[in-house]
Amino acid sequence: MSTQRIKVWDPLVRVFHWSLALGFVTLYLTEDDYLGLHVAVGYFILALLLVRIVWGFAGSRHARFADFVKRPTEILAYFKDVIRSRARRYLGHNPAGGAMVIALMASVALTGVLGLLVYGTQEFSGPFAGLAFQVSDATAHRIEEAHEWVANFTLVLVGLHLLGVLLASLQHRENLVRSMFTGYKTAAEVSQQVAVKGDGDEKVKSHHGGIVDAGY
Amino acid sequence: MKKLSLIMAASLMLGTNAGMAAVVDDMLKEFGGAGNAQDGAAMWKKEFVDPASGEKRSCVTCHGADLKTAGKHATTGKPIEPLAPSVNKQRLTDRQEIEKWFKRNCKWTVGRECTAQEKANFLVFIRGQ
Amino acid sequence: MKKLTSVILVSMVLGAGGAVWADSDSAGRSVGGKRLDVAPVTLDKYKQECGSCHFAYQPGLLPARSWEKMMATLDDHFGENAELDAQVAKDLTAYLVEHAADKSDYKRSAGINKSIAAGEAPLRITETAYFKRKHNELPKRAVEDNPKVKSFSKCETCHVNADKGSYNEHEVRIPGFGRWED
Repeated sequence: MSTQRIKVWDPLVRVFHWSLALGFVTLYLTEDDYLGLHVAVGYFILALLLVRIVWGFAGSRHARFADFVKRPTEILAYFKDVIRSRARRYLGHNPAGGAMVIALMASVALTGVLGLLVYGTQEFSGPFAGLAFQVSDATAHRIEEAHEWVANFTLVLVGLHLLGVLLASLQHRENLVRSMFTGYKTAAEVSQQVAVKGDGDEKVKSHHGGIVDAGY
Repeated sequence: MKKLSLIMAASLMLGTNAGMAAVVDDMLKEFGGAGNAQDGAAMWKKEFVDPASGEKRSCVTCHGADLKTAGKHATTGKPIEPLAPSVNKQRLTDRQEIEKWFKRNCKWTVGRECTAQEKANFLVFIRGQ
Repeated sequence: MKKLTSVILVSMVLGAGGAVWADSDSAGRSVGGKRLDVAPVTLDKYKQECGSCHFAYQPGLLPARSWEKMMATLDDHFGENAELDAQVAKDLTAYLVEHAADKSDYKRSAGINKSIAAGEAPLRITETAYFKRKHNELPKRAVEDNPKVKSFSKCETCHVNADKGSYNEHEVRIPGFGRWED
């Protein structure tokens, strides 16, 4: 059995992922105690998200949204397979993972935009500074609470994301975390896994096809 | 009287009131002689009505009736160190400070600057505390 | 493909850095991790002269034009006479103006300064929009009607590290109420 190493995650995807993770932790810990740092990292994360969205259309094979954004029915079917421990292994994001990418990006983006609104209405600073004089103290306070709420919701998503990574790593006996560092996954396990699950040859082929033109 | 001078001599020997003595003596000289401690004590307690607010004001308002204990600022509530030199050796040692507070506090309390005689009375009264 | 990726990565970092730089108030001192909200008072004379009657408010709590107005009207200082020796007044004014909110990049200074209209020179910190917004949640019974507090002007009563320039919400202890975080 060959254990061919295949490049799955391009550098931008990996840098994006770990920058976002580090950035989120920093933002969550600093709050407004270190406002300067908090705002700087916030801007950085928003910029990262914009780049990642562009990369979702222009990036390498597994970086593209088209590769991992699936219909709800497909995601649901995947969950059912996971529960029965017979989920297929995907080289890129699996359907649940793909949904989590979108949920996390949306939640982080919303937190960031709300953060800019808080920066405007509470600190009279940033692009929305002018808003500060137009909203009431109570409204400004509600915006701040919304920012905190969505940030906490993002943290919940991060927890679910980590559980998902753990579960998928266990079910397919591979180290997904390491792959996000190195960018590589092992091809052999794909064939093995697909073969065990008794999926048709077609799928195996399509996977190998994917491996060949992974964008490198 | 003998007892008092003994105490004064003792404190002078300790060097605690040497600075105060010189400063106060200089000021008294400029104010044209001796102050009257009893007049100073009387004015200390005398209440003046502030025409703008209608409130009664006296030295006691902030410093209290006992100069040996701390007072409290009427508006901000900030503690004021005791004025009596016997418990607060910093008092009456800095001419600029004395003049600054005479000016401010006479204006606030009495509504005008105090006269030379009034200041002399206060100095002698406070020095004895 | 590799080239394109590195070009995008570099522009990503540059773009974010540019955004931070363009928004100058997010740069400055606090990026270094300083937790202080305003620069602490550094002039002993100021502490002595102003701090003998009230909390020695940091110069960074009002813009320069407010301090100039304040120091020019010490004969009626919120209803009290606070006149100073001319030279002392001059020295203190210079100190206040140099370290005023509009010349500081500390968080609270920046916020207060931006919340004041250009044509205004408030004398009370408590009247600035920034101050009001930050204290809006407090019920009357916690401050004005609280016999142990009475007034918003006594910063140090609740902000226990106010004298060090720290107004952090986590450090608030309202007498009779304790911690206050909302």
